[in-house]
Amino acid sequence: MRFLHSLLFLAAGAAQAASTWGFDDATVSVSSKKGAGAKEKFNEKAPLPQSIVLGSSDSLKILLTAKEGGKGKRPHQAFVMLQEPTTGLEAPFPLTVKDNGKAVVEIKHSDLPTQLAASTTPLKASLILASFGAAEGINKPIFDIDVATEPNATPIVAEKPMRYGKLDDIHHEFRADPKSPPKVISLVFVLAVLATVPALFIGWLTLGANVSHLSKAINAAPLAHGVFFGSIVAMEGVFYMYYASWNLFQTLPVIGVVGAATFLSGTKALGEVQSRRLAGER
Amino acid sequence: MKFLVSFLVLVFAAVAQAISSSGSRLLVILEDVAEKAGYSKFLADLEGRGFDIAYETPKSESLSLFHLGERSYDHILFLPTKSKGLGPNLTPNILLQFINANGNILLTLSSSTATPSSIVSLLLELDIYLPADRQGLVVDHFNYDALSASEKHDVLLLQPPGALRAGVKDFFSDASVIAFPNGMGQTLGEGALLAPVLRAPATGYSYNPKEQTETVDDLFASGSQLSLVSTMQARNSARFTVVGSADMLSDKWFDAKVKKVGEKDTVKTGNQEFAKAISGWAFKETGVLRVNWVEHHLNEEGAGNASNPKIYRIKNDVTYSISLSEYSWDKYIPFTVPESDDLQLEFSMLSAFHRLKLNPTISSADSTTYSSSFKLPDQHGIFNFMVNYKRPFFTNVVEKNTVSVRHFAHDEWPRSFAISGAWPWLAGIGATVTGWLAFCTVWLYSAPAATRESKKTR
Repeated sequence: MRFLHSLLFLAAGAAQAASTWGFDDATVSVSSKKGAGAKEKFNEKAPLPQSIVLGSSDSLKILLTAKEGGKGKRPHQAFVMLQEPTTGLEAPFPLTVKDNGKAVVEIKHSDLPTQLAASTTPLKASLILASFGAAEGINKPIFDIDVATEPNATPIVAEKPMRYGKLDDIHHEFRADPKSPPKVISLVFVLAVLATVPALFIGWLTLGANVSHLSKAINAAPLAHGVFFGSIVAMEGVFYMYYASWNLFQTLPVIGVVGAATFLSGTKALGEVQSRRLAGER
Repeated sequence: MKFLVSFLVLVFAAVAQAISSSGSRLLVILEDVAEKAGYSKFLADLEGRGFDIAYETPKSESLSLFHLGERSYDHILFLPTKSKGLGPNLTPNILLQFINANGNILLTLSSSTATPSSIVSLLLELDIYLPADRQGLVVDHFNYDALSASEKHDVLLLQPPGALRAGVKDFFSDASVIAFPNGMGQTLGEGALLAPVLRAPATGYSYNPKEQTETVDDLFASGSQLSLVSTMQARNSARFTVVGSADMLSDKWFDAKVKKVGEKDTVKTGNQEFAKAISGWAFKETGVLRVNWVEHHLNEEGAGNASNPKIYRIKNDVTYSISLSEYSWDKYIPFTVPESDDLQLEFSMLSAFHRLKLNPTISSADSTTYSSSFKLPDQHGIFNFMVNYKRPFFTNVVEKNTVSVRHFAHDEWPRSFAISGAWPWLAGIGATVTGWLAFCTVWLYSAPAATRESKKTR
C-alpha cells in the first residue's frame, strides 16, 4: 500500500516536475536622504555584476513578482537572506507577498544586525522562494551589498560573544638582570686601587720606615709579640672566612677568642714597644 | 598499594553500574504512562544501558523530585504533555533546583502539543527562546522527506551536525541521515553555556501553523539561527538538553525509511544512533572529565623534588602535572584534548603571569597525564596554579592550587667575586688589609730613621 502511495507521489512529482518557483520584474533600489540612489533590475539567471552600495542612512527596496510555473502566486517562504561571507552569519528578511505574487521588502541600514552592518566585506544577498507541495523552490544569489561606512559616523562595533575555548599563551617577561660595566673598565680600576699599595710602601721607605727592631722585640718578648702580631693577622683571616663561608654566629665566637688573645698579648707586646720608646729608641 | 586499592574499587564500581557517571535513576514524565509504548525502542535502549526508569505523569500526586532535601532522581526525561502547566511538583523553580543539585534534564518538544508554561519559563530562565504563543513548526522546502511529508515539508532530513567549531569534540555525528519530524525550533541567547547540537539548514525556518498558513510575515528564526537540538551545561556541569522533536525519538522514526526530495534512493534514518548520542551526553554517559591528581614540584638539579611544596622562590624551575580521564559510556578512558584545542595552565596572581600549553606525557589505561615545565615569574606573592578547562560538551575542570613565591634569600644571590663590577671594591679591601698589616709591622718594629735621629728622640 505504502509502496503504491509513494508511486503515486512519484507520478505526481513527475507531472509537476516542470513546476518550479521563479520571479520576474525584479528591481532593487536604494533610497537615501540625499536623493534617489541606484535602481537596478535583476533576474534569476545571474546575479547583478555590480554590488549595491548601502549607506548608513539609506534603505534598500526590493520589488518582484513571485511565480510558480510562470504564473504569479504567493509562496509561503519568500526571504531575502543577507550573508556575511567571512563568518557565514545570515539574516533573513521576509518579503511581504500579495496573492498575485507581488512581493516587496524594504531593508533599512538600521535593520541590519550589527555583525552585518559592521562587515567590511560585501554582504551576499540571496533570494529564497519556496512553498508547500511539489513545486521546486529556488535559492539564488541576487546581488552583493557594499555596506558603506561614513567617515564621520561613529563606527559600528560588533562585539564577539564570549565563547569557551583556548586563550592566547602568555609568557612572563622577566626583568633584565642587573648589568656590570665592561670588564676592561673594572680591571683598570682594580689596577689603580692595587697601585696604591706599592705607592704607600715606597712612600714609607723614603721616609725611612724599616723593621730593624724586629729581632730586638722578639728577643725581649717572643711569645707576646708572636701572639699579638699573629692575632692581628688571624683577625683578617676570620673576616675572610666570614666573607667566604661562615655566618655571623660562627664568626663572633672566633672573634672573641682572637680578640682576647690580642688583648692579653697586647699588654705585654705594647709594653715592650713603650719600653723602647722610653729608652729613646723610637 | 593505596593506588591499587582505589583502582580496584573503581573497577568494581564501573562493573557494578556500567552506566552513567552520575547515577542511574531516570524519571520519565509523559502525559499518560501508556504513551511510553510509542518510545519503546528508545526507552529499551536506555534500560539496556543500565538506567532504572520510573514513569510519572505531571498529575501524579506522589511525584517529587526531592526527598528530604536530596534528589530522588538523577535524570529527568520530559516527553510531550498536553496540559497547560505541569502542576505544583514541577514548577520552574523546582526544576532549576534540580539542575542546581546537579540533576540532568532531557526535554523534548513537539509542534503538535503546546509546550507547558512551566517549561517555557524554565527555558526563558536558561536563555533559550521558543516561538511566540508556543506554536512553531520547523519546515524546509529544500530538505524534506519526500515519502512522508511531500505536501507539508515538516519532516526535515539533516546531515550529522559535525563539530560545533574548531577545537570542540564532536559527540553527535555517528548517525547517518537524521529525520526531524514535526519539530519546534529554538533560538539561543548569547551565553557561553549554551551550545546548539543540531541547527536548521540554511533554508529551514519556523512558522506558526495556526496563524501563518499563507505567508510568513513575522519570522521567528531561520537557517542556522534556528536551533533544533540545543544544550546548556550549567556551571556545576549539570546538563540540560532540548530536543525540538519528540517524534524523532519515537519507534516510528527509529527505523523509518526516508527519501530526501530530489534524490532517488530511500535510506534508513540514523535516529537511533543520534538518540543514543544525545541521551548519552544528556545523562552524562559521555563527555565527563575527571581529575585524578594534580602534582607540582621543583625541576632543578640538586634540589629536593618533594611533591606539592607550599612555597617556591622566584625564578625557580617548576613542573606541573595533571592527570585527566574522560568517561565514555561505561568506563573511564584517557582524556585526549580535541584537535586544535589546548589544555592550558595559568600561573596567576590576580591575572595570569604565565598561560602555557600542557602537553601529554604519560598515558595509562584510563588516564592521560598532561604536564608543563616553566620558570616562575620574578615577582613574589601568593600565586595559583590554575587549570580552567571549560569547553562545550565537556564537564568543567577547574583546578586551583595555591603556593607562595618568595624572594631570593640573602645567601642565594651571586657572590660579589662573580660580579665584575665589584672587583675594584674587592681590590680596595685587599689593599686596605695589606696596608693595615704593613702599618702594624712598621709601627711595632721600626727603628728610628738614621737621618732624623735627633728629632725623633725625646
